[in-house]
Amino acid sequence: MIEMIRAELFKLRKRRMTWILLIILAAFFCLMFFATYGITSSPPDRMPGEAVDAIRASLQFPDAFNMIFSTAGAIGTLLLIILVASSIGNEYGWGTVRQVLTRRGIRYYFVISKLVSFIIIAVIGLLISVVIGFILALITSNLIGSINWDFMTASYIGGLFEKFGWTLFSLLPYILMAAFFAFLGRSAIAGIGGGLGFYFIEAIAVGIFNQAGGWLAKIPDYLIGPNVDALMPSSLFTQGPFASAGTLPSTLNASLTLVVYCVVFIVISLYMFKKRDVTA
Amino acid sequence: MEKNGDLVVQTEHLTKCFGKLVAVDDLNLEVRKGEVFGFLGPNGAGKSTTMGMMLGLISPTSGTVELFGMNIQNYLPKILQRIGAVTESTGFYPYLSGKDNLDYIARITGGISSSRIEEVLKLVELSDREKDKFSNYSLGMKQRLAIACALLNDPEFIVLDEPTNGLDPAGMKEIRELIIRLGQEGKTIFLNSHLLHEVEQVCRRVAIIKQGKVITQGLVKDLMKKEDILQIKVNEPERAMTVLKNIDWITSIVREDDKLLIGVKAEKYAEISSVLAKESIFVTEMRAKEDTLEEFFLEMTEERIND
Repeated sequence: MIEMIRAELFKLRKRRMTWILLIILAAFFCLMFFATYGITSSPPDRMPGEAVDAIRASLQFPDAFNMIFSTAGAIGTLLLIILVASSIGNEYGWGTVRQVLTRRGIRYYFVISKLVSFIIIAVIGLLISVVIGFILALITSNLIGSINWDFMTASYIGGLFEKFGWTLFSLLPYILMAAFFAFLGRSAIAGIGGGLGFYFIEAIAVGIFNQAGGWLAKIPDYLIGPNVDALMPSSLFTQGPFASAGTLPSTLNASLTLVVYCVVFIVISLYMFKKRDVTA
Repeated sequence: MEKNGDLVVQTEHLTKCFGKLVAVDDLNLEVRKGEVFGFLGPNGAGKSTTMGMMLGLISPTSGTVELFGMNIQNYLPKILQRIGAVTESTGFYPYLSGKDNLDYIARITGGISSSRIEEVLKLVELSDREKDKFSNYSLGMKQRLAIACALLNDPEFIVLDEPTNGLDPAGMKEIRELIIRLGQEGKTIFLNSHLLHEVEQVCRRVAIIKQGKVITQGLVKDLMKKEDILQIKVNEPERAMTVLKNIDWITSIVREDDKLLIGVKAEKYAEISSVLAKESIFVTEMRAKEDTLEEFFLEMTEERIND
């Protein structure tokens, strides 16, 4: 199994798409930090002073860490959906799934090794995001004013690891969902379409449910997006166009709901892959 | 676990249905150790489905497949360690080089050294192009890489699905010679090919499948032997025809250039020579007529179509 995971990582490392997505990630970070800095340096006249101050603070340490993790979570989700769906879907398109299965008869090895390698890629991607974000925040902090590192206590660093963990955890349902759709449709298009489609349609649906009120407003508590938001309450995106306007679920509700989604996606993917014939 | 050491493949009443379509119907096949076995059939006959079931890619609806005496459903991982396969789609990553593709397969297979990768690349003459991306390979190079991949784990049993697809005549000859050599080394080979001339040259036994059913199987030399047709060459074919037409135990007589094809039982061959000699017509060549495998294949498959 370890060899299969290493082999998956070998393929992902050699694939140009992985590096292109990494460049997009870095470019998005630059855009977020510098565009936000642009807004704060010449804010629109009607923007209240407190709002400008809040945005400015998000570009400086220590608040910049929230910006880093929320940006990584948002763009990371989209990029990982594309990477995961392509990686699985193309196995069918290129016929490589046949090649692999005539080498290893245990089918769940294939699924598990893929999923584990995606999680490893997510960890690496998140680490790179933190490094890029940290460098950008150093620049914007210095552009806005000086940096006072007094906040960087041992407990604060521990809190950063915790944020890292929650951000990674919030990526998992989307990784597994993209994998599920790619296995279901046996194509990259199905995985990307299903994953991104769910991501955006869910955001719209959450808004509609919250507006409807009553028992309908309870439904978002059991969807993925609001629970991800609940684990990352400082996310800029909770206030953005895809914000879930209602009350966010509790951390316990969010954790359990996301775990259930992860388990369901894994189990169905494994079952489908094990049971279905692999034809040409 | 391993039952009959001599049998590498044994299918019993193997059946696969896709909905209402019966792709493979009650298939009984046996491939013996060290044999180069040809599996023939028109498109859509069920060849790839049969191979898919042998490799564990497709689950049978009913019946069993045993390889090396082990049931494929219970011992697939163990069985696959002893198999090398070239499947219909060559199945490599286009963004990886030929060598990286083999490296990947070696990693997931386990127990394959880098020197073995070099060895198989050399065997299929891809060493000088090993660093080129698979997407830049010609069809022939892709096929050769697939064969190299099938040989990576030095398998006892090799499944080849159309291995000469896309190869030029020289490439086809190379692969043909490679198959013969592998057969001589004691490897068991299951060859699926449309190129009947190829099969005729390399296979000892063949099975012909049509609409999911095996319509015939046996030794190539036996299948090609046309029963009751004698082919002779004589010094005066016109006169010989006239003489032979009057004999009641001759069922048919056809002239093909300087040859006569005579419908007659084998025990009467000597008598024909005697009859002609009495008329001062001399036989210069006499042998039982043999079909090419292609003729036999067409006869078998078309006959069933006409039925």
